[in-house]
Amino acid sequence: MNSNSPHTVKSYEEELKNLNNNIVKMGVLCEEALRKSIITLVTNNSEQAHEIINNDQEIDKYENLIEQQVVNLIALRQPLAIDLRETVTALKISSDLERIGDLAKNIAKRSLLISGNLSKNLVGILNALSENVQKQLKSVIDSYLERSSSIALNVWESDEKIDDLTNQCMQETINFLKEDQNNLKNGTHLLFVAKNLERMGDHTTNVAEQVYFLVKGEYLEGDRPKHSEIGK
Amino acid sequence: MKKINAKNVNVSYGSKQALFDINIDIEQNEVTALIGPSGCGKSTFLRCLNRMNDVIDICKVTGEIFINDFNILDKKCDVVRLREKIGMVFQKPNPFPKTIYENIAYGPTIHGMTQSKEEMDEVVELSLKKAALWNEVKDRLHEVGTGLSGGQQQRLCIARAISVSPEVILMDEPCSALDPIATAQIEELIDELKNEHTIIIVTHSMAQAARVSQNTGFFHLGNLIEFGSTDKIFKNPENQKTQDYITGRFG
Ligand SMILES: Nc1ncnc2c1ncn2[C@@H]1O[C@H](COP(=O)(O)OP(=O)(O)OP(=O)(O)O)[C@@H](O)[C@H]1O
Ligand SMILES: [Mg+2]
Repeated sequence: MNSNSPHTVKSYEEELKNLNNNIVKMGVLCEEALRKSIITLVTNNSEQAHEIINNDQEIDKYENLIEQQVVNLIALRQPLAIDLRETVTALKISSDLERIGDLAKNIAKRSLLISGNLSKNLVGILNALSENVQKQLKSVIDSYLERSSSIALNVWESDEKIDDLTNQCMQETINFLKEDQNNLKNGTHLLFVAKNLERMGDHTTNVAEQVYFLVKGEYLEGDRPKHSEIGK
Repeated sequence: MKKINAKNVNVSYGSKQALFDINIDIEQNEVTALIGPSGCGKSTFLRCLNRMNDVIDICKVTGEIFINDFNILDKKCDVVRLREKIGMVFQKPNPFPKTIYENIAYGPTIHGMTQSKEEMDEVVELSLKKAALWNEVKDRLHEVGTGLSGGQQQRLCIARAISVSPEVILMDEPCSALDPIATAQIEELIDELKNEHTIIIVTHSMAQAARVSQNTGFFHLGNLIEFGSTDKIFKNPENQKTQDYITGRFG
C-alpha cells in the first residue's frame, strides 16, 4: 500500500522526496560507473579509468548525504509506517549502492594494470556478464522509482543468471591462464573482475530485497536463489 | 486472554451517532491504545466501558460489552460495583480539593474496603508507591493534592484510581498536560501497572501509543477502522486511512 495523498506538513513531504531523488541519482551514477568500467577494461582506455576512479567520490558523497538526511528525518520527523520504511530502506540501499560504486572503481583500477589485448572469447563472456549485471541494476532502480515489488522480485529471482555467467567467465579465465605463463598477471586481475561483477549482482539483489520490503512492508521469504559453486 | 469483548456497540447523542458497530477485543494485562482524529469517538468508547455515558441524558448506547464474560450494558449490572472494577484517569489531573491522603482514601472508604486506620494507611502507601509518587509526598500526605505539580497530580490521580484495585484502568489522554519527564514517569508506570491491570489509553501522540501499547485501534468518524498489534499498525498498517493518519497525511 502506498500513500498518494501528500503530508500535511509540506517540508516533510519535500524531505522525503529529496531523499528519494538522491537514491535514484546515486543509482544512476553507479549504473554509469559499472557500464564504463567494463568498456574501459576491454578497450584499455586509461583516461576513462581515471575518470571512473575520480567519479567514485561523487557516489561516496551521495552516501554521506543520504545518511545525514536519514538521521535528520528520524530525529526530527519520527517517520512511521510507509515513511519509516522509506527512511530505513534509503539508508540500506545507499550503502549497497556505495559498494557497487567501489567495485566498479576497483575494475577501473585493474584495467590500468591489464596490458595487451584480451581474447575475443574472454571479452565476449565479460561483456555478457557485465551486461547482465547492468540490466539487473537498471531494473532494481526502476523498481525503486516505480515502487514495484514485482520488478524487485524479478531482479531477486534473476540473480542466479549472474552466478552462472560468473562461473563461465571464471572458467574461461582459467583456460586463458593455462594457455601461457605470460597470462598470469592479466588472468589474475580478470578473476577479480569477474568476482567483482558477481558481488555487484549480490548488492543489487540486496537492493531488490529492500525495495520489496519498502513496498510490501514484509520481508522476502525463503532462501535466495541458489548460488552454484564456483568453478564447477 | 480476552478481558473485554465489545460487540456491535452503537452510541448516539440525540440524533447524532458517535460510534458505529464497534467490535473490539481487549487483551488482559496488556495496554491497548486508541488513536484517531479529534471527535472520532475515542472518549465516547472509553466511557462506555465504565458506563460513564449514563450520566449524559441524550446519550444512548446499544450492543454488548462483555467484561469477564458479563455484559456490563445489561440492566442487571451494578454500576457502582462496575466503577470499582474499572478505574479512570482523565486528561486534566483532577484531584479532589482535599489532602493527598484523603484523595487516595476516598475510593476504599466508599467501597468499604478497609476495616481500620492501619489498613487504610497501608492502602494509601501502597497506592502511592505503585504510582511512583510515594517518595515525593510521604512527608506531606496531609497537604492538599491540588498543591502538587501537574505531573505529581496526575500520578496522584493514578494512585487514586488504583487504590481500589481495579481490574481495568481507562486513561483518556493522561499525559497531554505533562512535560517529557513526567510523561516518561507515567509511561514507565503504565508498563508496570499492566502486570496487574488491563489498560486502555487514549492518546494523540503516535509516539506514545507506539511506546506504551501492545495493541492499537484506529478510530475515524465513529468507526473502528483498524485494530491490531501496535507493531503492525506503526510499521505496516493494512488500511490506507490508518496510514494517512499516523504519517500525518490527513487532509
Ligand atoms: N456530551 C456530548 N453531547 C453531545 N455530543 C457529544 C458529547 N460528547 C461527545 N459528543 C460527540 O460525539 C463525537 C465523538 O466525541 P468524543 O469526545 O468521543 O471524541 P474523541 O475522539 O474523544 O475526540 P478528542 O480527541 O477531541 O477528545 C463528537 O462528534 C462529539 O461532538
Ligand atoms: Mg476525547
